[in-house]
Amino acid sequence: MPHTPAPRTPDRDDEHHGLVLQPRNVRFDWNALPMHWIPGEPMATHVINVLHLLLPEGERWFVRTFKEALPLIRDERLREEVLGFIGQEAVHAEAHQGVLDHLLAKGLDPRPYTRQAEYLFQRVLGEHPELTGTAARENVVERVAVIAAIEHFTAFLGDWVLNADGLDRAGVDPTMLDLIRWHGAEEVEHRSVAFDLLRHLDPGYGRRIRAMAITGPVLVHLWVRGTRFLLANDPTLAPGQARPSWRAYTAASRRGLLPRLGRAGRSAARYLGRHYHPTQEGSTRQAVAYLGSSPAARAAAH
Amino acid sequence: MSPEPTPLPPPPDLYGRGHDDRFMRLLDRVTRFYLPISTRKDRYGHRTVAPTPALLPVVVAARTVEAEGVVSLELRSPVGTPLPAWQPGAHLDVDLPSGLRRQYSLCGDPADRNGYRIAVRRIDTGGGGSLEVHQDLSVGTGLTVSHPRNAFPFAADPAVLLIAGGIGITPLLPMAREAARRGLDWRLVHTGRSDATMPFAAELAALDPDAARVVRRPDDEHGGPADAAELLGHAPTPGAAVYMCGPAPMLDAVRAGLDGSPGRGLHFERFTAAPITGGRPFTLRLRRSGTTLAVPADRSALDVLRDQDPATPYSCRQGFCGVCRRTVTAGTVEHRDRRLSDQERAEGQMLVCVSRAPEGECLELDG
Repeated sequence: MPHTPAPRTPDRDDEHHGLVLQPRNVRFDWNALPMHWIPGEPMATHVINVLHLLLPEGERWFVRTFKEALPLIRDERLREEVLGFIGQEAVHAEAHQGVLDHLLAKGLDPRPYTRQAEYLFQRVLGEHPELTGTAARENVVERVAVIAAIEHFTAFLGDWVLNADGLDRAGVDPTMLDLIRWHGAEEVEHRSVAFDLLRHLDPGYGRRIRAMAITGPVLVHLWVRGTRFLLANDPTLAPGQARPSWRAYTAASRRGLLPRLGRAGRSAARYLGRHYHPTQEGSTRQAVAYLGSSPAARAAAH
Repeated sequence: MSPEPTPLPPPPDLYGRGHDDRFMRLLDRVTRFYLPISTRKDRYGHRTVAPTPALLPVVVAARTVEAEGVVSLELRSPVGTPLPAWQPGAHLDVDLPSGLRRQYSLCGDPADRNGYRIAVRRIDTGGGGSLEVHQDLSVGTGLTVSHPRNAFPFAADPAVLLIAGGIGITPLLPMAREAARRGLDWRLVHTGRSDATMPFAAELAALDPDAARVVRRPDDEHGGPADAAELLGHAPTPGAAVYMCGPAPMLDAVRAGLDGSPGRGLHFERFTAAPITGGRPFTLRLRRSGTTLAVPADRSALDVLRDQDPATPYSCRQGFCGVCRRTVTAGTVEHRDRRLSDQERAEGQMLVCVSRAPEGECLELDG
């Protein structure tokens, strides 16, 4: 059956066509980072810190998987976007690794959790040598579908953090705020790439949906256990001093320190729509505007 | 970190309870069940997807002298169909008949889908691209161009200062047009050697009927080039976003002067690969295939590998992201990257986008 590629061009006047994605060589200095970088908010701090636990391994896995997908791409412009995406993800991984190193130096050993992240992304979701030929190739596409689902959440979080005035009001550590906003802005900037790649490799609805059906709940569970782990191992907290609870989460999200659960749920539901495209979420203009003023991105520009 | 995953035993429980982590084991078990089901059908191979061409054929429909030493070309589809959409800041890669490839910003109106306009300053001491455009591209000449790509996106911030040096006006003119259309608080400063060399005066004036937004500043009428404080001082309000395109010294000065000025964010076109300096020719040998590839002094190992395999991974082309890393199994590498640790280098890793080898050396790459 002849296949007509769906239009990759954004529908909205607001979105840029042919945006060139380039990694930015950012550097962050964590020496002055306090343990609770949202002042007085250990739980909200650690909910966001779960990013640092998961992202270095997760984004390295994105890079490996997309490298494997490169020979399958039959659209040169898409390949160029994928290459830009890979470089941005590679830099993100190292930027978050720096925070992990800092946590360890401050007495919060992240390694029990990051060992699990390594296992998850290298073994469970890694290459499976028992698969060969077309099955190995389909496994690459399946992993791209998982990445497209994860990228829906990273774009949601990126859009949230760019608009989270509550973080400004709370006096968040400026370097950390710049890290999460720079990262969020690049996630918004490249939010269509994994989805477009999936649609190029397998335009079917089934694979997209089942990947989200698995990824969504697993991601939520990883987040919950990451938050618990960080709070339990935070050397500055007395045992039981800051217990994680959904009630505390909701209260923090009302203060604008964390994304609202209802919004996250509705956003995940939109991914299931047949006519979903990532350009419908978030604003490239806002991301571009932040990247022009981000201290780290500005220092990295050349 | 090793670039290739290694088999790992299930990790211990998070709280040191002395057994394997149950959730991780569950995920592993589910995956082993899921893998054969999810990879049974060859969904990729059963479709025939034609390769999507990245290039567009166009024809020169008009040629206009815009200023002393500047011509613009109007490019149209040879069959009269609308061209792909673009936004301010976009450029085209233009393949010239001589084989040279040059990038030119689109300086027309994005609303006009029937034509692309580029403007080129003649540089007699350059690499010959601008001379070819000036001398050989007459009306009716056919060319191949890329789809528009945007490495200088305009965010349409509420207050904007556009700074153009000479022919650097080309990406900023469509930004000014969009700023006017959206009713933004915008200013544009255009500098140049002399009034006669500065293109698009009439178009800029048309966007600024009250003569309140556009400042044209020829160096010869102001006793020399503008400094950063003067340029940034044209910001309409404190906190304005600055978009700039011009010669490197001007860009460096504006970057250095931004803090403490009314400008807030700074946007400019970022170029990826820096020119190769002090490169010597060497060869690459691919261990698996036995193929030998010559790397000339003015090209990178990555360029040569990409010619051979278009799916070669890379990204930043500046030696910092690490995507293009390869393992060298024989030969001495001249490392030029900013990423690899001493240990990674000792293990034979190399970033092929920037790193090279001494003259005549043969580097054997694993894979």
